[in-house]
Amino acid sequence: MYLRLAFRNIFRNRLRSLITLAAIAFGCISLTIAGGFIEDTFDQMRESYIRSFLGHMQISKVGYFEKGAARPFDYMIDEPEKALGAIRSNPSVASATPRIEFSGLLSTGDTTISLIAQGVNPKWENEISTFVEIDAGENLSEGDAYSIVLGKGLAEALAAKPGDPLILVANTRSGAINALDVEAKGVFHTSSKAFDDRSIRIPIDTAQKLLQTKDIQTIAVLLDDTGKTDLVKGELETAFAHNGLDLEIKPWYEMADFYTKTVDLYRRQFFVLKLIIGIVVVLSVFNTMNMSILERVGEIGTLMALGTKRMGVISLFLLEGLILGVIGGIIGLVGGYLLASLISWVGIPMPPPPGATIYWTAKIKIVPSVLAFNFGLAVIASVVSSCYPALKASRLEIADALRHNI
Amino acid sequence: MEVVKINGACKTFRVDRNEVKALNGIDLSINAGEFLAIVGPSGSGKSTLLNLIGCIERPTSGTILFEGSDVTRLSEDELAEIRSAKLGFIFQTFNLLPVLTVRENVEYPLHLRKTAKDERDKKTLAILKEVGLEAHASHKPSELSGGQRQRVAIARALVGAPSIVLADEPTANLDLKTGEDILKLMKELNRKHRTTFVFSTHDPKIMKLADRILELRDGEIAGKQCT
Repeated sequence: MYLRLAFRNIFRNRLRSLITLAAIAFGCISLTIAGGFIEDTFDQMRESYIRSFLGHMQISKVGYFEKGAARPFDYMIDEPEKALGAIRSNPSVASATPRIEFSGLLSTGDTTISLIAQGVNPKWENEISTFVEIDAGENLSEGDAYSIVLGKGLAEALAAKPGDPLILVANTRSGAINALDVEAKGVFHTSSKAFDDRSIRIPIDTAQKLLQTKDIQTIAVLLDDTGKTDLVKGELETAFAHNGLDLEIKPWYEMADFYTKTVDLYRRQFFVLKLIIGIVVVLSVFNTMNMSILERVGEIGTLMALGTKRMGVISLFLLEGLILGVIGGIIGLVGGYLLASLISWVGIPMPPPPGATIYWTAKIKIVPSVLAFNFGLAVIASVVSSCYPALKASRLEIADALRHNI
Repeated sequence: MEVVKINGACKTFRVDRNEVKALNGIDLSINAGEFLAIVGPSGSGKSTLLNLIGCIERPTSGTILFEGSDVTRLSEDELAEIRSAKLGFIFQTFNLLPVLTVRENVEYPLHLRKTAKDERDKKTLAILKEVGLEAHASHKPSELSGGQRQRVAIARALVGAPSIVLADEPTANLDLKTGEDILKLMKELNRKHRTTFVFSTHDPKIMKLADRILELRDGEIAGKQCT
């Protein structure tokens, strides 16, 4: 009976209830769109980092990530084929590619610039680095030797273009200086301007000749699903231990410092937005309930005179808040879903994020957990804001309340 | 048998900084099956006395025995249970719940008593038939005339077979003819079900139907003083 009473009471003053429902639904839709936009931004940013250069994880000799920057040749993987075999036998691994990274100098004859070089296997690297885009010339391909591709910023600084001869100078593993004549095959860009300003990619065989080593430093691994990162990391660690491989794994999120800090910052900002919208919903429902009580003092007196306990009156008003929250939440969810789908279909053209060079199209990601949270927030905010009016109604003196009927 | 026995009940209200005595040393016994009229001018304490009998207000002093039990010291919830189980109310302004239909209004007290649906339906339809409103069961109160609304209120008061029905000026908002009809209906139900009725009124014609008339003046029946 309370449910019936509560439901009908809500629609007594239709305009007021509709405004309240609109406020709740608007809050829900705002959170769905804002949350979906942020989640999509995170996704695209994450995937661009992973598929530009990080991979889902990188595998190296134990100690490389901690001390390898100073003495990289002390931490080389000396059995690359065995390690690659163990990694590729995991069914969730989509691709794995060896890399060797070193610093050096690149010269056109007139201009010389220091750089970071990545020795890569062109065939496998192209499976992982799908977000690397070629601006001029061509990317490295299988069978290439003595060819390099340059980051856009580096190419501009050197005024180098595809087909230009260049000299690459680096320290060998033994510490001697070695130089190679190479040809600029192409110019690329990734999502990171910092990477593009100082990086080249070179076939790993050529890099090994330059460095006079047959070993590799890291293996970049791409999975079939980013969500499996931790699971596969655990499986590979077990496999390495089983095969006697002294290797360690660094997942993408430990390497993508800019990404994790950006996510942290955005999540805090989004929390403030949630708080503001929650307050708007609370105030809106509070106002409706309070007005409703003022109009229904006589009725509350009648209910209590007939034998309704004070707890019953509280339940009635809390139910009204709950129903408002549930209906407003459902409208908000459906409205949010439809609007999010429409916006995603159209797409939002976005400028490059800080430190990046690529324009991108944002969408609104529908995240079930975000939808559930928004719905929960609408319901909880509505019920919470009904508490004080409900208590106020239950504390009315029956005789005083009954006089309002006259 | 006494349904209600009031001993030396006083009720004082505080208005601003002044104390106003609404009832002053009331002694009253109401017997089962009685059709009792409480009369007196406005402000004489009729409504306050009905509120005390109806467990809506507590006396400032004195005791009220309801079917032999002192109700003056009961908790709010215990009083609510007595109102639900043993009392029926008829108000001057009908006080029907506007969002409920006639039938739902009448069965509301049975919901409070957690009566099973079958029994609830049976009792509700029976009492609606008795007050002549079975054809209006699905109407909303706003679709009824004043007299019809008061009949719904009477049905609601009687549906749970209470020990006593309290009616505060039940005919004040009705025209003379309708008022008389309502009083006659109450009297008929009083005779038929032996339900005790206590009602307040100004109307001398209605008073004639009462078994007993209790006259209140300035909150007193017989000039007793609060101690």
